[in-house]
Amino acid sequence: MSNLVVPRRTLMLGTAAAALVPAAAFAATGPDVGKPAPAFTAVDSNGKSWSLADLKGKVVVLETTNHDCPYVRKHYNAKNMQTQQREAAGKGVVWLTVASSATGEQGFVTAQQANDLTKSRDAAPAAVLLDPKSQVARAYGATVTPHMYIIDANGVLVYKGGIDSIPSSDVADIPKAKQYVRIGMEEVLAGKPVTDSSTRPYGCTLKYPRTST
Amino acid sequence: MSRFPAFLLGILVAIATALPVFAQSVVQTDNVRTELLADVSTVKPGEPFWVGLRQTIRPKWHTYWKNPGESGLPTEITWTLPPGAKADPIVWPTPILFEVGGIINYGFKDESTLLVRITPPADFSGPLRLEAAANWLVCEDVCIPEEGKFELTLPSGTAATPAPPAIRTLFEQARRSVPTESPWPARYGIAKSGDPTLVIDAKGLKADTIGNVYFFPAEWGPVATMAKQNAMVDANGIHIPLKRGDAKTALPPLLAGTLVLTEKTADGTVKQAFDVSAKLDPAFVPSSVSLAGAVGSEELSLVQALLFALLGGLILNLMPCVFPVLAMKAAAFARLAGHDRTEMRRDGLAYTAGVLVSFAAMAAIVLSIRAVAGEVSWGFQFQSPIFSLLIAYLFFVVGLNLSGVFDVGNRLAGIGQGLVARGGTTGAFFTGVLAVIVATPCTAPFMAAALGFALSQPAPATVAVLLAMGLGLALPYLALSMTPALQRLMPRPGLWMDRLRQFLAFPMYASAVWMIWVLTQQTGADGVLYALGGMILIAFAIWLLRFGSTASAGTWLRRGLAAVAVLLAFGVTLKLEDRPATAASASGNATGGVNFDGWERFSRARMAEAVAAGKPVFVDFTAAWCITCLVNERVALETPASRKAFEQAGVVKLKGDWTNRDPEITGVLKELGRAGVPLYLFWVPGAEKPKILPQILTESLILSELSSIEQTKR
Repeated sequence: MSNLVVPRRTLMLGTAAAALVPAAAFAATGPDVGKPAPAFTAVDSNGKSWSLADLKGKVVVLETTNHDCPYVRKHYNAKNMQTQQREAAGKGVVWLTVASSATGEQGFVTAQQANDLTKSRDAAPAAVLLDPKSQVARAYGATVTPHMYIIDANGVLVYKGGIDSIPSSDVADIPKAKQYVRIGMEEVLAGKPVTDSSTRPYGCTLKYPRTST
Repeated sequence: MSRFPAFLLGILVAIATALPVFAQSVVQTDNVRTELLADVSTVKPGEPFWVGLRQTIRPKWHTYWKNPGESGLPTEITWTLPPGAKADPIVWPTPILFEVGGIINYGFKDESTLLVRITPPADFSGPLRLEAAANWLVCEDVCIPEEGKFELTLPSGTAATPAPPAIRTLFEQARRSVPTESPWPARYGIAKSGDPTLVIDAKGLKADTIGNVYFFPAEWGPVATMAKQNAMVDANGIHIPLKRGDAKTALPPLLAGTLVLTEKTADGTVKQAFDVSAKLDPAFVPSSVSLAGAVGSEELSLVQALLFALLGGLILNLMPCVFPVLAMKAAAFARLAGHDRTEMRRDGLAYTAGVLVSFAAMAAIVLSIRAVAGEVSWGFQFQSPIFSLLIAYLFFVVGLNLSGVFDVGNRLAGIGQGLVARGGTTGAFFTGVLAVIVATPCTAPFMAAALGFALSQPAPATVAVLLAMGLGLALPYLALSMTPALQRLMPRPGLWMDRLRQFLAFPMYASAVWMIWVLTQQTGADGVLYALGGMILIAFAIWLLRFGSTASAGTWLRRGLAAVAVLLAFGVTLKLEDRPATAASASGNATGGVNFDGWERFSRARMAEAVAAGKPVFVDFTAAWCITCLVNERVALETPASRKAFEQAGVVKLKGDWTNRDPEITGVLKELGRAGVPLYLFWVPGAEKPKILPQILTESLILSELSSIEQTKR
């Protein structure tokens, strides 16, 4: 006797909602620049644990990565990423590369693979953090690889966005582009506010765990 | 990265070679087949024509729109043209929204044609050679940048000649998928929070015909593409509250983008896309009517939800809509009093089983609807006139039974009341089922939050919460049947039992009258005719069947007639379905069911406006079939003292009528984590968020809420 008649309109709207508003599993946008950067703790490819709280007093750069992503390859093949990593190290900036692809997804690396990649690409980050559950990426609302963040010595997020100003996969564009991260690092170290503090990130969609949606 | 199957490639090549060679250039990459086409075969110097970059994308892969969303890159075309020739920017087709791992992107799947207008130089002769270098990003889970070089050589002449029909058809299709200019002016305002709200001043839209509204911002920066858009449509137009994007610069004087919506027309649902360029309207400061985190909206844990559900179910026994069934149960219990304990216990267990099975069935229905539609609400079945009518019949028949018009012995197969009235275990079971069916229009305190939670949770939690609610509903009777000590408190059986039983018929009749009244709110005055006519037919059938059951030809004739009468009564439901369910409430003015005297009709826009104007706002979400709502109105909202206090405080009183389906109200309820009415919101002037008042209102509560704003004013 339970005649539960389903209103047709409810069905239709429901479908509409499902089609247009897929459940974004995480915060609609990441943290705002000028606000404290989200805390994180992660283990690096050598088994060492890194916590943002322990890095107070130092400028920190975060770089999400997926070594098979053409946009990541663009900046590694051109040595742009490695050069900036070395510059950062030279100035006492802690550059953390975050391998945020979920287990089984493109760009997922084991500790060994991460170390091999660092060697083969001649990269020079302070560490490669392993983030197979994409927790660090999620905390920062990262959407692409490479998605770049700069955190100042007080733990405040001062830059988020792209590595540079020309969104393309063409290596030839790098010299023409404004290198936002390099400029941002210099400004932070000089005690100045970052001019372009929030830019358009570009790259491959970050490979979050599939169950997250 | 597997390649296209070879045979598919073969087919594509075959198609490509079948077309005239002079008007195209094809590039086949791993994931996309791209060709450059022109809508002319011969170019006239100085006369513009169109070319299209047509991409056939590998199934499940996609390319990107001019604003790709949170990741991805738009397709780019770089032209190398003869001196004096000009290529305009790409005219983009309407994008679709897709989501990968929670990240929102705008782009194209299957096929897209990017149109470009080319103006050849006025002074040239000989063939026109167009060269294009295009690059695009194509993604499924992984992203591949691809590129191609295209070449198109077109002869020139004194007059342009159109391309062959096959190609012209492609261009026609491509033009159809380009958004048209918006027929309505658009503007946008910036809230104090910095979030923009887009307003399309489309007067006279019918809210219930418009759906799937989404605004695709034309560029990265001003608007966050990741944020949900909860568009509101009312007679004044479309409001889309947006979220500020990541660009740090001020919002632009013009906010451009593509507005997509679907409209229900007589011939089905039509998708429309409009190019919108919204001027910044400094006078329009949308109030941040973010309902999220409204004071009093509970964030529940599963344990809390289960507890609330149990409590809610328990209290449900006392709610007006369950009263008739409670009464029936009391009658059944009285009948059983004096029987031995095992039977009593069995009866209690059967009743509980009936309640739980019904709740489980409801959970199954809720889950399956949700799997299909993604949205369910409590009491939604009462938004269907058919359901209202069937329930009215049910109340009526049960009433007749209690009055003694027919007896338990008469087996009226197929009619629920027969089962309910049947003694023993089966009867108890179906009483439980009946209790659940009539309980649905009621929300008891605690239940709302638990239900809201249940309907939004994964399947196991939904089932658990609904079952807990059922247990709560069944608990008093179960406890009674299990505890001899309690049973001893029951009066001894006697003549009073028959009297009680007959008396209880009257609440049933009253409930039937109420359901018919609800029905008239849904269908108009004709509903009375159908419902009462149906009831006469049912009564007639019962009368026919009451004659002795000697197996004569006459008996069979009577049975046949009775069956016809019952069928006719149920046939009425077909008549009801043809009616537009929202006719009454969508007509704009006050309808009989819900009293709008002294109240304005709720719309989000009106609420936002009143809140922005700094006025206190009271919102009452109600429905004709919700007794709790009506009782609250009677005892708390519409008393002379409350009316006076509302008036003195200058409160804007808004009433949302959910008697029939209303997407806007359903949306608000959902946002607040509620599954049904009643729901009361109170905005104190200047508050960022509304306060949610309890589900059971009292006059003193309303007066104290209103006096609190009087004090803050001083």
